[in-house]
Amino acid sequence: MSRGVLGRFQQLDAAIDAIDDVKRQRVDDIQVFTPILSHEIEEAVGGPESPVRRYTLIGGFLGATFGYWIAVWTSDYWPLVIGGKAIATWIPFTIIGFELMVLIGSLATVAGMFISSHLPNLTATVGYDPRFSEGDFGVFVECPADQAKAVEDTLRRNGAVEVRSER
Amino acid sequence: MATIARPDTPPAPAPYDNIPTADVRLPAVKSYAQADHDVIATLQPTWGWFACVALAMTCLAIGISAWMYQTFWGLGVAGYYPPVMWGVYIVSFVFWVGIGHAGTLISAILYLFRAGFRTSIYRASEAMTVFAVMTAGLFPILHLGRWWKAFWLIPYPNWRWIWPNFKSPLVWDVFAISTYLTVSATFFYVGLIPDIAILRDRETNPIRKAILSQLSLGWRNSDREWRHFARAYLFLAAFATPLVLSVHSVVSFDFAMANTPGWHTTIFPPYFVAGAIFSGIGMVFTIIIPIRKFFNLKKYITLNDLDAASKLCLFTSMVVGCAYLTEFFMGWMSGNSMEQEFWWNRVFGQWWWAAWIMLLCNCILPQSLWSQKLRRNTTWLFILSLFINLGMWFERFVIVEPSLSHEFEPWQWSSYIPTYIDYCILLGSFGWFFMWFLLFIKQFPVLAIAEVKEILPVPRRHAAGQEGHG
Repeated sequence: MSRGVLGRFQQLDAAIDAIDDVKRQRVDDIQVFTPILSHEIEEAVGGPESPVRRYTLIGGFLGATFGYWIAVWTSDYWPLVIGGKAIATWIPFTIIGFELMVLIGSLATVAGMFISSHLPNLTATVGYDPRFSEGDFGVFVECPADQAKAVEDTLRRNGAVEVRSER
Repeated sequence: MATIARPDTPPAPAPYDNIPTADVRLPAVKSYAQADHDVIATLQPTWGWFACVALAMTCLAIGISAWMYQTFWGLGVAGYYPPVMWGVYIVSFVFWVGIGHAGTLISAILYLFRAGFRTSIYRASEAMTVFAVMTAGLFPILHLGRWWKAFWLIPYPNWRWIWPNFKSPLVWDVFAISTYLTVSATFFYVGLIPDIAILRDRETNPIRKAILSQLSLGWRNSDREWRHFARAYLFLAAFATPLVLSVHSVVSFDFAMANTPGWHTTIFPPYFVAGAIFSGIGMVFTIIIPIRKFFNLKKYITLNDLDAASKLCLFTSMVVGCAYLTEFFMGWMSGNSMEQEFWWNRVFGQWWWAAWIMLLCNCILPQSLWSQKLRRNTTWLFILSLFINLGMWFERFVIVEPSLSHEFEPWQWSSYIPTYIDYCILLGSFGWFFMWFLLFIKQFPVLAIAEVKEILPVPRRHAAGQEGHG
């Protein structure tokens, strides 16, 4: 994020009212810092659906495919023939397929979360304040300089205990 | 916007300030700052903690010494005598895998079911899971004797293109346990990230702050991070749920696939899963009750939470008891004299003492949990949990040893007496487990701070009596 205005709130509903008001000013580039997972904030910000589920699906599918493939291929490559029993036996191989589906699917889910959240993020984040992990709510609005005053007024009007410009 | 007026007269103080209701889950916790303060305060090392770590490390050192002795002299020192070639190591392997199951049950399955009592106990349970599975994974390697060849079980492209046999239950075990360890450790770490960020923001020591910054991956509590976190956590829980059921089913296949009396039954997978959850809840009580007392967390781990977990314990005890009775019944009903003789020998013959320890600890004593008074008595819960741990170790002993020592032909009948090497390595496994657990609880929050905050009243300007969280 580049230049913008940060408002710090001590109440959740004040932060949500501020988000609604800022959005009414046709400023949509809003980032909210919240100490808890809040569906109210998620709804107020109105971000897109998380793409993590796609990573999960693709990872799970690839894992299951690889699990079945490695079991079938290795059994076929070096067959252990036992009394006319099938070389590729689906029931035991389902265990390998299932376990790898879970393993690769889970790792892909975490990778999806990291990619979508831009983690690891080891540089300073504009607008972040350690108080946001304790209990305060932060609303950072990225806006051009000519809109900053109006945004500051909006945040203050909705109960921000502190408003400051960030760069 | 509507407001709720303050009452004119202040409400009379409640006689007890820590009785939760459906709306107020943690009545004695008034603010987010208090939650941060109380949980972070548990990270201060104490002399008692140092003493416990020293004890755990001593037990571990005994176990390592016994293992080195066994490596030098061979597996014969471990009390194996044909035909009983599975002993304490396999018993302890199944025991520790089972312990690991309750953590995932509490963190994943109860998360999907939105069970409220999960919040205050799941972090300790998850840590327990990871360290218990780490412990369990050691035993098959110890049991190999030539542990340096353990990597043969992993399918890797070697120069002769020889692969493990994917039809073998032992290879299924490798996949199931390693997947379980990886997924439960991942789930554990993902859940820890917001809490590590809280520690990072409160930390004043620059070295610790730098380490915590790396471990938190730069988590900033932004709405975008929380949105993807919530999705990922949900999917991880959804993956972990069938995984937890599959892992102990696969462990049970180690036995059920063999044509041995007492093992070759279709009841084994659900029986093992229920037993694993039961034993895990027993271990949760063993670790959570001292933590609640010595870390002064009674405000967070309420009697209602322990009461709810006790009901789960009682339920799984009854499932396990039902499985025992079904096994006996099937033996009697089979009309197979071999099976009948085997079951008689297990309960009233050679192994009666082990079977009755199992029945007493796993079926009879947990019936006390029908009493609400005892469900809310932490001293009794702690004592009971020790009996459950003992009983569940003996359950696995009763599954493994009587079957191998009493197979089809009388000339195969034998016995099994563990040696001091077995006992030392078993003691070492407890040392290994508790060492990791004790180190964990002084480095990271034993309660999930971010989730505890979620069940506190959200600070709102339009709510009666809410003046901000301060």
